[in-house]
Amino acid sequence: MARLELDSVTKRFGDGGDAVVAVDDVTVEVPDGEFLVLVGPSGCGKSTTLRMIAGLETVTDGEIRLDGSRINDQPPAQRDIAMVFQSYALYPHMTVRENMRFGLEESTDLPADEQNDRVESTAEMLDITELLDRKPGELSGGQRQRVALGRAIVRDPAAFLMDEPLSNLDAKLRSEMRTELQQLQADLDTTTVYVTHDQTEAMTMGDRIAILDGGELQQVATPLEAYHRPANRFVAGFIGEPSMNFVPAAVEGGALTARRATAGDAFRYPLPAAAADAVDDGTDVTLGIRPEDIVVDAVDVDPDHAFEATVEVVEPTGSENVVHVELAAGPSVVATVDGLQQVRAGETVSVGIPGDAVHLFDARSGSALHSRSLDSVDLESRRVRP
Amino acid sequence: MGRPDGPRDGESTAGTRTDGGVADETAAGDLPDAAAGAASPLARLRRSEFVQSIPFWGPPGLLVLVFVYGAVGWNFLISLTGWQGLGQPEYGDLSLGAYRRLFEDPSFAAAFRNTAVLLLLFTVLSLLLGLALAILIDRDIRFENTIRTVYLLPMSLSFVVTAIFWRWMYNPVDGLINEAIRGVGGAVDAVVFWTAVDFGVADALTQAWISDPRFKLYAIIFALMWQFSGYCMVVYLAGLRAIPTAQYEAARIDGASAVRMYLRVIVPQLRASTMSAAVVLMVFALKAFDFLFVLFGVNPGESADILSVMMYRVAFDRRQWAYGAAIAMVLFAMALSVIGPYLYLQHRRGDL
Repeated sequence: MARLELDSVTKRFGDGGDAVVAVDDVTVEVPDGEFLVLVGPSGCGKSTTLRMIAGLETVTDGEIRLDGSRINDQPPAQRDIAMVFQSYALYPHMTVRENMRFGLEESTDLPADEQNDRVESTAEMLDITELLDRKPGELSGGQRQRVALGRAIVRDPAAFLMDEPLSNLDAKLRSEMRTELQQLQADLDTTTVYVTHDQTEAMTMGDRIAILDGGELQQVATPLEAYHRPANRFVAGFIGEPSMNFVPAAVEGGALTARRATAGDAFRYPLPAAAADAVDDGTDVTLGIRPEDIVVDAVDVDPDHAFEATVEVVEPTGSENVVHVELAAGPSVVATVDGLQQVRAGETVSVGIPGDAVHLFDARSGSALHSRSLDSVDLESRRVRP
Repeated sequence: MGRPDGPRDGESTAGTRTDGGVADETAAGDLPDAAAGAASPLARLRRSEFVQSIPFWGPPGLLVLVFVYGAVGWNFLISLTGWQGLGQPEYGDLSLGAYRRLFEDPSFAAAFRNTAVLLLLFTVLSLLLGLALAILIDRDIRFENTIRTVYLLPMSLSFVVTAIFWRWMYNPVDGLINEAIRGVGGAVDAVVFWTAVDFGVADALTQAWISDPRFKLYAIIFALMWQFSGYCMVVYLAGLRAIPTAQYEAARIDGASAVRMYLRVIVPQLRASTMSAAVVLMVFALKAFDFLFVLFGVNPGESADILSVMMYRVAFDRRQWAYGAAIAMVLFAMALSVIGPYLYLQHRRGDL
């Protein structure tokens, strides 16, 4: 039960000229009970941010507040937080029961029988009662994961911090645990900060996601908002799999023109009115289009937005085919089509890029100039709440 | 050679022959024999890994058997004969007389007690000191390699050399230890009592460390500790390095203070390091002969006598061979009682 605030939090390693800025002026507010996912590529500062909240790293600048009170200088023990580590960090010489009780023994004055009660009930909730007297070395990866969760939950902290807790599990177990963890967090209604580099986890689990790159916060938004209304080119490319196609182009008279090296007709894309209004003539922009919005073998697409293309590679995944096509007019793009649609490498197809699905980004700064139009998507919708 | 069995069998026989010089005369008749039936017990025996590996473990095994276990057995036999002085032992008349004499001998009782004290105190203190040093050095300090080398260096010195060092250090008149005490004590006198008069703080503390029966044994333990704690430190350091950082962090987040984190999370995980270092130290303590021999010769006096020195004195100074052999058997039993449990545990955990 707590509201967690990061206020212009900065972390520099080293000092003077060789200082490395790991986290640069990050401001996020996590309301009580929210599941916030910190996501970004390796080295983006997400783990450092989490470790600062945990108290394992000092904060160079800025303030971290838990329920309004500053916790920058408190040692980890006094912060009323629990953390789940990527490697689980279970104590190998203790049984599961002792592992789970350790935090209670060290950080609370609860009488022994109440400690035991809490361990038992948490174990029951996680369905690990029969493992209580085993040592971590005798458990499977999934069981260890549960014990690590149990060790955090049993302390009933103000906030959970999770550092890539699912990355050591195999794919099937990971998706199971993903669902379970969401449900668990929703039931406990405890503020949670979850770090991952996996954008699928970020999209599916978070109430909101905070996308970091190079230590800087790029966007904090609900998953759908980040997907459909990315704040900049980095977010657009990072969220979504396969990632968004980008075509560098220039605006010329309400249309986009891509320069190309070889002779022939240049790629020319007439912009719909809404998009054309967002950009000035003569500026350099980046056209963004999600693979699933591209129509391959288009019949009912506006002929202005249909292009002749050659299929280079087809990657079938079963439910869909990932198709790499090279437009006759230049750029190569990736499209996903229905798994039952027959597309063969080498074929010449007509590729449609619908006007209402395009994103435009400033070529230099990368910030979004225009996002796709949406009719009826509730960007704020939550997925787990009862 | 056209038969599927032929080449493999011929090869293995050749291997045995060249390596071990056995099975020479059977080699010629080998192929038809193998073809007659792989089930023939002789052929199967020849192909078994046990027989084929004999050339590798056989000779060293035989040497150990004769010169270690054979010698132990012979020593036991001698301890039963009552052999002393010049001449040959008589194996016809065996008795447990030497062992009975052990129980009545006050100097054996003293040596046994000293050995036990040395064994326990030296081992425990060296382990504790080594652990403390390892924990300090593990905290990402500067010049870590240099400091580690400094602590480990005494271990590389010969015991004869360190014994002589420490004899100088402990010298009651001009030894470094008493000189240091006098220096500090004089300063204390001057500061505390505001006078140049000698109030005797220094005199009360300076001692004849290796002559006074009250301190002798402890002075030896201290010197040995100096030499061996560096070794413990290195063993513990390796153990500490194997513990992932997340363990420390998890304990901190769980609310443990630094002391309790080490006591409850880190040190228990060093059990394997403790075991192996303790065994090395205890076995060394049992045969800490050279150090005492250099300091005191064959007769360290009752307060510092240990079994290994007593064994040497009895056997080679007084030529009571049987009695010396009996003391040697006691030492052997003590060493076995240290090593045995360790080997058993290792075996049970599948490390052997």
